[in-house]
Amino acid sequence: MRFGKLNLFAFLVFFFALNSQAIEIIIKDQDGNLLSDAAVWLEGEKYKPETGLSPDMFSMGQKDRTFTPHILIIPQGAKVEFPNFDSILHHVYSFSKPRPFELKLYRDTPKSEVAFENEGVVELGCNIHDWMLGYIIVVNSSHYAVTNSQGLANIDVDSDQLGFVTLNVWHERFEKLEQSEQLTIELKTSSQKLTYNVKQVLMESFYFEADEMDGYE
Amino acid sequence: MNKALGLYALLLLSPITFAQTIQTKFEGVIDASYDSGSDSVSWLDKGWGTTRFGINDNNLSISRAAFTGRIDFTNSLSFFGVAQYVPEPKATIGFTEAYLQYQPIAKGYQVSAKVGAFYPKMSLENTGFAWSSPYTYNYSALNAWLGEEVRAIGTELTIKRPARRFRSKYDVSFHTAIFKGNDPAGTLIAWRGLVSHDRQTSLNERIGFAPLYSLQKPQLSKQWQYSDPFHEVDGRFGFYAGVHLEYLKKHSMRIYWYDNNGDPAAINTTIGQYAWDTKFLSIAWKSKFTKQTHFLAQAMSGSTAMGPSLGVNNDFHSWFLLLSHKWQDYRFSARYEQSKVIDKDHWAFDPNASDNQALTLHASRAFSERWRAGVEWLYSDSWLSYRYKSGLPYDVKDKVWRATISYQF
Repeated sequence: MRFGKLNLFAFLVFFFALNSQAIEIIIKDQDGNLLSDAAVWLEGEKYKPETGLSPDMFSMGQKDRTFTPHILIIPQGAKVEFPNFDSILHHVYSFSKPRPFELKLYRDTPKSEVAFENEGVVELGCNIHDWMLGYIIVVNSSHYAVTNSQGLANIDVDSDQLGFVTLNVWHERFEKLEQSEQLTIELKTSSQKLTYNVKQVLMESFYFEADEMDGYE
Repeated sequence: MNKALGLYALLLLSPITFAQTIQTKFEGVIDASYDSGSDSVSWLDKGWGTTRFGINDNNLSISRAAFTGRIDFTNSLSFFGVAQYVPEPKATIGFTEAYLQYQPIAKGYQVSAKVGAFYPKMSLENTGFAWSSPYTYNYSALNAWLGEEVRAIGTELTIKRPARRFRSKYDVSFHTAIFKGNDPAGTLIAWRGLVSHDRQTSLNERIGFAPLYSLQKPQLSKQWQYSDPFHEVDGRFGFYAGVHLEYLKKHSMRIYWYDNNGDPAAINTTIGQYAWDTKFLSIAWKSKFTKQTHFLAQAMSGSTAMGPSLGVNNDFHSWFLLLSHKWQDYRFSARYEQSKVIDKDHWAFDPNASDNQALTLHASRAFSERWRAGVEWLYSDSWLSYRYKSGLPYDVKDKVWRATISYQF
């Protein structure tokens, strides 16, 4: 039975590899540098998130005193669980308008879930490790991705979804974190390649060298 | 039916319900050690030794077992307790810290408060489990002294400007506390000197020292041969104030001013303890040269005095440099330190001056999240003026080494 499931999975992967088409979006900053960790999503009538009785479950973990993933993009209505992979306690919170909440997260305690009904940017912090920072981007879209280290986002699009769509781009180095940049584009093929240069000057990016020697908590 | 169950489960897991549940967490570390010890009797056993383990102690022991517990009453209010077991001079267990902390989540500036018994967070060396050092087994002399004679029993207020929240590279925080019950702090600086060790004093514990010639004199006849550091003697409040500065968590600095505001004339004759007027400045620095290589330095300078005519009146200075490197599962650390006590008073029968140096070399390996083992060599060279009156040479040189296996749970 298990073997059968695996076979079916392999078949599906193979099937989609052959049939799915992805548009390739490359995000660059004003100077032409590739921009990783940019949230990219398509909005339009044909790109509404699915509404169902069992919303999709996503995961925002905490490992080695960082949020993993750093940027999570989810469709409106989805739920997120917050597993703590560290042996220490985390106290995760958000003051962001779309979904304020706070959770004390022990390792091995039941996973806590939060549903995100409103679109927008949810900034996550930890009340114990205040350098921890993560984002949940809740989008009114079923088609989204986060750019990889090459600044590339692949978004699968069916041929019947082609036409005019609104491309949304968001990055944590935007000055106004609650606003994405938008551009109306026409998708002519489902393997279209396009490059988007963000319009604004990006804020400086910081890397905090926190480690376990900073404190036991 | 299923839907109803699902809804119930969702309610149970919702943040509001979650917040109302009291949660607890208990952890511990047990250190089993072989310590070569010195050939003198340790001060803990009222001897002349300058190392924690002396000739009276077993070489093999559970050198420390530490237990921490936190109870979260609400999302913002927690209780922290730290209890430690030590085998010498006799096996005891006691609390080293116990406090309530209020730390609500905040949008901008973070305000938090503590009430209870706790350490001022002036050390960048003692950031390990239960105020231990993650770099070496023995702490530097100045932090070892904090561990044995300094604790705030009172309340601390902290205001922090966290870097991330302000899109800044700098964390800045201010820590102020008022406290009672730390009046005898300074006793060991005068009558033992600053030495490297890892013996934290629990809140109800007394620490002995050598049978000094001066304590047999009438002027000091009311002082008994131990320090009972967390007692209130003069009824006055003490305070400390500190600032922490951090740059991208790469460079850290902590500056503290501590003043127990002791009334040197006050004495509690039922426990044989004076109030000491002890004040000092501590500056601690840490730089992460790389992710693996860390540099630490700390300096402390202050004064301590007791007696109605300030019969005992000393200045003290102490500093250390520490370099630590992590390679795979190994950690290597080296620390050099100097500590000096300057005797300023006119009581010639009670010399307090000391001039100590120590070198500590450490290597350890983590075998898993729970198991760790290591060895450490401590070389100390002390010049202790109080020994002379008892017919002992001024100089003491000790070389001790320790092998420890730690289990964390």
